[in-house]
Amino acid sequence: MRPGLLVRFLAVLGLGLVPTLATAQEARPADVLVSRQLAESENLTVGSVVRLATDAAGTRAREFRIAGIYEPTPDPARLGQVPRSVRLHLPDLLEMTRPVDVPAGAEYVSSVNVALVDPKDAGQFAKDVNARLPGVLALPAGEAAGSAGPFRVLERFHLAIAVVTIIAATVFLLALSIMLVDERRETVGVLRLIGLPVRRILVQILLEGLLVAGVGAIFGLILALLSEQLINQFFQWRYDTALVFVRITRDVALTCVAIAVPLGASATVVASWALLRRGGLRLARR
Amino acid sequence: MNAIGFAWRSLVRQPARAALGILGVAAVGALLFDMLLLSRGLIVSMQDLLDRGGWDVRVSAGELPGSGLRISDAVDTAEAISRLPSVQAALVMRAATAQIDRASGQPLRASFQGATMRSADPAGSRLRAPWTILRGRDAEGADEVVVDEKIASESRLEPGSEITLRASCVGDLEALPATRLKVVGIAEFPFQTTNETTTGGTLDALKAACGGNVGTEADLILVTSTGDADETAAAIRTLLPEIRAATNTEVVGRLQQTGFTYFRQISSVLTTVTVSFAVLLITVLLTVSVNQRLGEIAALRALGFSRVRVVKDVLSESALIVGIGGLLSLPLGLLLASGLDRILKGMPGIPVALHFFVFEAQALAIHVALLMATAIIAALYPMRIVSTLPIAATLRDEVIG
Repeated sequence: MRPGLLVRFLAVLGLGLVPTLATAQEARPADVLVSRQLAESENLTVGSVVRLATDAAGTRAREFRIAGIYEPTPDPARLGQVPRSVRLHLPDLLEMTRPVDVPAGAEYVSSVNVALVDPKDAGQFAKDVNARLPGVLALPAGEAAGSAGPFRVLERFHLAIAVVTIIAATVFLLALSIMLVDERRETVGVLRLIGLPVRRILVQILLEGLLVAGVGAIFGLILALLSEQLINQFFQWRYDTALVFVRITRDVALTCVAIAVPLGASATVVASWALLRRGGLRLARR
Repeated sequence: MNAIGFAWRSLVRQPARAALGILGVAAVGALLFDMLLLSRGLIVSMQDLLDRGGWDVRVSAGELPGSGLRISDAVDTAEAISRLPSVQAALVMRAATAQIDRASGQPLRASFQGATMRSADPAGSRLRAPWTILRGRDAEGADEVVVDEKIASESRLEPGSEITLRASCVGDLEALPATRLKVVGIAEFPFQTTNETTTGGTLDALKAACGGNVGTEADLILVTSTGDADETAAAIRTLLPEIRAATNTEVVGRLQQTGFTYFRQISSVLTTVTVSFAVLLITVLLTVSVNQRLGEIAALRALGFSRVRVVKDVLSESALIVGIGGLLSLPLGLLLASGLDRILKGMPGIPVALHFFVFEAQALAIHVALLMATAIIAALYPMRIVSTLPIAATLRDEVIG
């Protein structure tokens, strides 16, 4: 690993963080990045010099200069925990955390991220590393990304809730359709008596159903788009995170329309079918 | 005939629409009930899980047990805690990562929990292990371990079998020599997660497995108090101000502020959405139903039914739809909760014994109260229609129409 390369090692060190004044005469301290949340809670700004130590007593504390403030990658597994973290250059981190009896260069790191020329080789590469380096575990990024797990589980959870909601909405829709069709019983009876075949009336009802369901679906999407921003703003404020909670994508919108429109139209037709099986005279009778 | 009886006959007269309305309420009610179970489910379940072990104070170096920080000089610290008059027992726990060699295939990755099995007093009385033995006996010696069911089934182990284990107490992936250990029991580990396998043994066994490279640190000290847990935790904090002592309730309180908030929030949002959805749909159902029966209602008024009486009829109809639907929603909700619980337990890092949906009388009471409010609010508009209905004009319109 190249020295000086800023790698993703979070120094969660129980840091004794003390802003100090640096004089121009002193050697420039090494650079670090601090998370936005830490910067806000400790009033740190770019250019501030802080002292970092691995324990609360401040043993072997070193000065660092804040080179930047970063937004931590949102992690759903750590939702609710304010990420107060500092990113150091790897040699600086090793220098600070190395036990006194361990010579420089003999430290260990918890993980090494490898970028392959062809990402498709990840599986084979991991197998080769595992075979050649006993005691080291290599995993393709897809398998190692444990943080992706909660996303997948939450997706399944939300899908299950959506299915229950759709079932409930369908039942209500059927009940409403039956009532609305019943309201038009006499009109349908008259149409039958003047000679319109059942199929013609059904087509008309289907078209009406499609129109109503389409308008309803579009209204629902507009409502969802308007609430998307509100929901995201509320939860981002609530958890102090950049995580996006609701995103109405093109696929989501199309899926909604693809479910809502046929469902609405079908409900109207199903509700009408029982009515249309009756004779015209019976329907028109008061 | 009273209002309820009259409303019942109105519903029975239109069985299809009544059945669909009730089914709709049942489905929405089931979702509402589940959201109420979810709102406190994790907290109740975690409290139960913590209390089940019999240890009522947890001592750790970090804000929460399992934060990764370790207590130094753990055995001496536990002894000092044991000497407090309010402490009955103190047990030291240390976890390490391990690999169990298998005859074929990749080694099995597991965590190794080491615990002091005897108290520090001269009599050395046996301490309650932080796991439950299912078969065989508990580990006593430095060459004995207990394993969970998953390891036992995947490696075909039974009490009396032997395993080759490589444990690492310092770094995650140290290369260490293998250690032969005897499996003396199959155990259940309360905080074991769904994607985890666990072995347990004495601190000496852990030390042996780690090649002696274990130090004097520990992850956690579990304490049983003789009486009040709050007083014991306070006594420990006074004795050892540099470490954190928290009762089970305090641990749950801290988790409530961090890890569990998402599900509480999602439960609140979905409860609000579900109730609004139910109110809107029942209002529409009742309004359409009332509008179709305006002539009938006007006739009843003309026959002598009072305004209050027709209002009561509408309210009763709403109460019947919501009441029957609400009753059906309970078994449906419990069924749905078990399915949703299974889905959520697929989340990494969730203990197998932890549940997201837990039944509580309080949740049921809120469910009933919300449904009652739904029945009343949904009936408000149709009640207004029937109460302000002009009798003569409606009857005339009905005849002309």
